[in-house]
Amino acid sequence: MSWFGNGMSRKRAGLIGCGSVGLSFLITLIALVGFLLSEESEKGGVSTLYNWVTAGSFSLNMSILVDPLSVFMLLIITGVGFVIHIYSIGYMENDPEFSRFFSYLNFFIFSMSLLVLAADFFFLIVGWAFVGLASYLLIGFWKEKTSAVLAARKAFVMNVIGDVGMVIAAFIIFDHLGTLNFLEVFAAAKSTFRPNDDTILLITMFLLVGAFAKSAQIPLHTWLADAMEGPTPVSALIHAATMVTAGVYLIARCHVLYELAPFTMYLIASVGVVTAIFAGSMAMVQYDIKRVIAYSTMSQLGFMFLAVGVGMYSIAMFHLMTHAFFKALLFLSAGSVIHGLNDEQDIRKMGGLRHSMPVTHVTFLIGSLALAGFPLTSGFFSKEAIIINSYHADMGNIIFWAIAVLGAVMTGFYIFRVYFYVFSGQPQTDVHAHESPLIMIVPLGFLAFLSLTAGFGGGMIDSFLATYFGTNMPHPDDPILETIGLSAGLIGIVGAIGFYMTGKDGLEFAKQMLAPLYDLLFNKYYIDEIYDFLIVKPTRAIGAFLEKRVEKFGVDFAVDQVGVQTREVSRLISFWQSGSVRLYAFNMIVGVVTILMFVVFL
Amino acid sequence: MGHQFVLLISATIFCVGAVGFLIRKNPLVMFMSVELMLNSVNFLLIGYSSFQNSMDGQIFALMIMTVAAAEVVVGLAIILTIFRTRHDMDVDHINTLKG
Repeated sequence: MSWFGNGMSRKRAGLIGCGSVGLSFLITLIALVGFLLSEESEKGGVSTLYNWVTAGSFSLNMSILVDPLSVFMLLIITGVGFVIHIYSIGYMENDPEFSRFFSYLNFFIFSMSLLVLAADFFFLIVGWAFVGLASYLLIGFWKEKTSAVLAARKAFVMNVIGDVGMVIAAFIIFDHLGTLNFLEVFAAAKSTFRPNDDTILLITMFLLVGAFAKSAQIPLHTWLADAMEGPTPVSALIHAATMVTAGVYLIARCHVLYELAPFTMYLIASVGVVTAIFAGSMAMVQYDIKRVIAYSTMSQLGFMFLAVGVGMYSIAMFHLMTHAFFKALLFLSAGSVIHGLNDEQDIRKMGGLRHSMPVTHVTFLIGSLALAGFPLTSGFFSKEAIIINSYHADMGNIIFWAIAVLGAVMTGFYIFRVYFYVFSGQPQTDVHAHESPLIMIVPLGFLAFLSLTAGFGGGMIDSFLATYFGTNMPHPDDPILETIGLSAGLIGIVGAIGFYMTGKDGLEFAKQMLAPLYDLLFNKYYIDEIYDFLIVKPTRAIGAFLEKRVEKFGVDFAVDQVGVQTREVSRLISFWQSGSVRLYAFNMIVGVVTILMFVVFL
Repeated sequence: MGHQFVLLISATIFCVGAVGFLIRKNPLVMFMSVELMLNSVNFLLIGYSSFQNSMDGQIFALMIMTVAAAEVVVGLAIILTIFRTRHDMDVDHINTLKG
């Protein structure tokens, strides 16, 4: 693509960057239309491009799987990706490494497409690792910032943990089923494994490690908040809309395997719902606007995991889509704010922006409403469906439901807390905020439109994906639960209004009252410190011990002794090497004569 | 002439060569001793060739002489080079390779 470095002009880099993504979006649209027009039986197919590797009985084709699920994912990736690319032209306008940014961004889109189009586990893992790399490169894009580089490294290490899990899972699958192709694996798995077999549990668990790492679920969640060191469009594209949802996609793609492992499903739902409130609670006290949205992403991903965990795949995909819209919108609006305030990210230093940035204000408000699940916005439909099904689905129960509702309350609270901090009240700094240029406003408007309306497409998406999942989205009728779920987001919003509109006194009072809890949340449950204590420190200690003892007295000693002993032995035997020709000749003759004596006389 | 006579002469020449090689210090003389040893073998080969009415031994003798001539060329070249660099022909002094 555009590895032409900085020699390329900004305009051309931007044009190629956006153009290629826009083109792939168009192609995906054509594929979608083709799907919608085709007969029921013809939906989906594997298209083999060429044979890539053949080793013994193992043959690997470079093939892509085109079915409703992958087309659906591709639509989100290329669609949202295209919008964010356009936005980036405005956002990165003054960056000296404009074209490097776009080549990374394009690399990401390519990897993500590879991930969702892969027809077997091998290329899934390749795409999986590629998006991890793209994420690493983009988080650390501002390489002169130490914190960005550290965050990039953290994200990469966490993701590699997931990659290793995926690879192990692929090995086990190949060992038992002899193939890595999705369709063959799923067909074979049904006949090979009984539900809750050890092997299938192992496979699903290892796949889950990958999904958790990529989607920042507990316990591998710490990297996502730090990943906000990257440029804001990156946060919007990779760490909100597309890459982090790969975990959800993976589970949805492998739902045949997961249905054979109800225990793992239960685990997914539990981790998802716990992450939802865990991340939500952390989001309530952070002051960095992007971190709040990042924790919000983790929380929403938790909701998606809850949905797949209770077997409601199409709802999860639905929420994935609406989330991609409104979270990208929120990130881009936040980016617009940050841009307008000359890279200020602390919400305490913002305020009163609703006058100086009217458009961003409206789009952020729409995003917040959608995130909080305000009635008739897109988030309302998808989140409501998840919450209600967490109780009504076969695998759901009342505990999931209650925690999910709590999560929804938090959602409303934390996002409107940010909203009030940023847009209402008085300006807190002297920086003269200015509205962003048109090239950033238009994508915002487009995403805002989608955030408002995408919710009405739920039924369509459901029937579109039903061919893959084999089930339809249920619509349980339960007015009481529905009302509670509906009001949850509103309660959160009202709570935020109550806290942040009535003045600082009540706020300070609450902060004092709940100081220990507040500290706990503000420090992100000390998870980073716990990891540091449990993993980093012991590893360092072991390393130090090994260096001082084993290395010095074990390995070094052994290697040194080999040298020393060799020298000693050589000194002993070098006595024979007198350098005297006559002595050599004498020895030779004596030797030959001795041998002759033996041969002749014995 | 019996077999013993040929064997005896051959063994004598060989021993003269071997002892000469061991006790002389001058590399040229040592070289001549080597030739003596080679020629003792030639003598043996030719002698037995005539006893057995077979040409094989003589062919071998011819071959040994050819190889010896070639070897002498190389050997003399080495000796010449050593003399040019060291101005000394005593083999006991040439012990640079002493370990």
